[in-house]
Amino acid sequence: MWPTYLNSLRESMSRRVALVLLGVAILVAVAFNWIVHVRNASGVTMIVIGAQAPSPSAIAVPDVLESELHAAGSLWLLLAVFAAAPLLTATFEKGWLELIFSKGTARWRILTGRFLAGLTLYALIFALATLPVAARLWWRTGVGTWQISLALVVQTFSFAALLSVAALTALSQKGVAIPIIASVAIWVLSPSLAKREETFYQLFSSRAVREIVDWAYRILPKCSELEDLCVFFLHSKIGSWWPVWSTGLFTISILGLTIWLLHRKSF
Amino acid sequence: MTATIEVQDLKKVYRGFRRKPVEALRGISLRVGQGTIFGLIGQNGAGKTTLVKILLGLSEPTAGSAQVLGFSPRNPATRLRLGYLPEQIRLPDYFKADDFLRYMGALNGVDSRSLGKRMPALLEKVGLKGNYKPVRAYSKGMLQRLGLAQALINDPEVLLLDEPTDGLDPLGRRDVRDLLIGLRAEGKTIFLNSHLLSEIELVCDQIAIMDKGNLARMATPAEFTRGTGEYVVRVAAASDRVSAAAASVLGEHVYWQQNSFRFAPRDLRQLNSLLDRLRSVPVDIESVEPIRLSLEEFFIEVVAEQAANVANVS
Repeated sequence: MWPTYLNSLRESMSRRVALVLLGVAILVAVAFNWIVHVRNASGVTMIVIGAQAPSPSAIAVPDVLESELHAAGSLWLLLAVFAAAPLLTATFEKGWLELIFSKGTARWRILTGRFLAGLTLYALIFALATLPVAARLWWRTGVGTWQISLALVVQTFSFAALLSVAALTALSQKGVAIPIIASVAIWVLSPSLAKREETFYQLFSSRAVREIVDWAYRILPKCSELEDLCVFFLHSKIGSWWPVWSTGLFTISILGLTIWLLHRKSF
Repeated sequence: MTATIEVQDLKKVYRGFRRKPVEALRGISLRVGQGTIFGLIGQNGAGKTTLVKILLGLSEPTAGSAQVLGFSPRNPATRLRLGYLPEQIRLPDYFKADDFLRYMGALNGVDSRSLGKRMPALLEKVGLKGNYKPVRAYSKGMLQRLGLAQALINDPEVLLLDEPTDGLDPLGRRDVRDLLIGLRAEGKTIFLNSHLLSEIELVCDQIAIMDKGNLARMATPAEFTRGTGEYVVRVAAASDRVSAAAASVLGEHVYWQQNSFRFAPRDLRQLNSLLDRLRSVPVDIESVEPIRLSLEEFFIEVVAEQAANVANVS
């Protein structure tokens, strides 16, 4: 698994889209560091964001992190899919798949190595965008910012759900478009399903359709709710764990199915 | 002889949604002995690639069994002892030869220390010594050489090679032939799938001809390229007297092509009488060569025979 993991990381760094995302992540970090100022007024550490009025660090630090999370959160999931899905589809390209799957490494190890490389790529992008500001604020104010690390784990977990769908659809060997579309569709559906009373219920009055929508919500990953959960963490509140375990169950099921189908697949 | 590859009544049917099932293999059985070079030939669509894919564990047979080194190739532990060169090798651009070999070796469980020792020797063996530029700058022939190197990186007991000389110049082809002969001498078993019949003829100990998913014929090159019973006699200078002398022995009209003619003697006695008669003309005999069927001619004969059988049945 590890040779494939390391090779996939290397491969991702050779792709322009991944390099662009990493570059943008660094720019986000630079921009936040530039607009967020730490001042000391009469022995009290204050945070100044741009032209806003200064506020005490204990209150302002979680707010800064929340803004950062929104800037580097949900949309980044989507963009990272464009960088990570080709890692999975490239595995099944003719002339390459024969080489790697004829070696003495089990197919599931190769797929898992690629999958983990995709997750690492996302985590790296997220970390580059958020951790420098978090580290600076902690250093300068003494207010704990460890919650951003937890947010990183939760967001990566959310990305894993999207990537598992990309992995499953990549088995069709029809190129990178289908895996990207499938992952993006789930990402797009996620907030609408979470607020289905305000979205789908307004469109459909049929009880049967609403039941289907409810089941779709229960089954599919809850990317938007996981992001909300990260915000709760930043404010030291504990939200419901339902999005975590249900998304985890989805990811494990889809990955399990993918590995089983890959094992049985005849090339 | 121990069978390194053993295939029993192997069938493969490709089924697809709203597609007629395609029978790629229709009950193939064969054995490949250890330390031999086995050549597989056949037309496009004969089922060669399907057979190779099953032997590599890339494809699951519909029925029958395939064993390599006594085990199923679906088992990764079996594949650790195999080397494979695909027909179309397609490498990601970012690789350099050494990175690529390192990755292929790692996938085959070769530790980094052994890889470090093995790689320079292998690159030298395939004619890529000191060539560490990115593979995107490689020619087709260089890629093929690198493909061969990766197939050997784990020092495999069995090598499956799909068109190994594809894209190589004549010298490169000779190098590969020598390499294969050397590997056979080391006791390795080589399964060769090629369209270049002359290559197969030169190196293989056993050859199988596949046709439409069936094993049409299997024999040694000597058996395939058997004599036709005809001879070509070449003399120093043909003349009317020489022609009349030949006709007097053969009792038929002899068709000359410049200074040579082709004929099928009844027996060796008739051949020797002809030579005695020609010498008495006198004329210098430059050569008397038995005509052997080339593998290509034999292959065409077999394929035509199979087509005729199918036509008769239908």
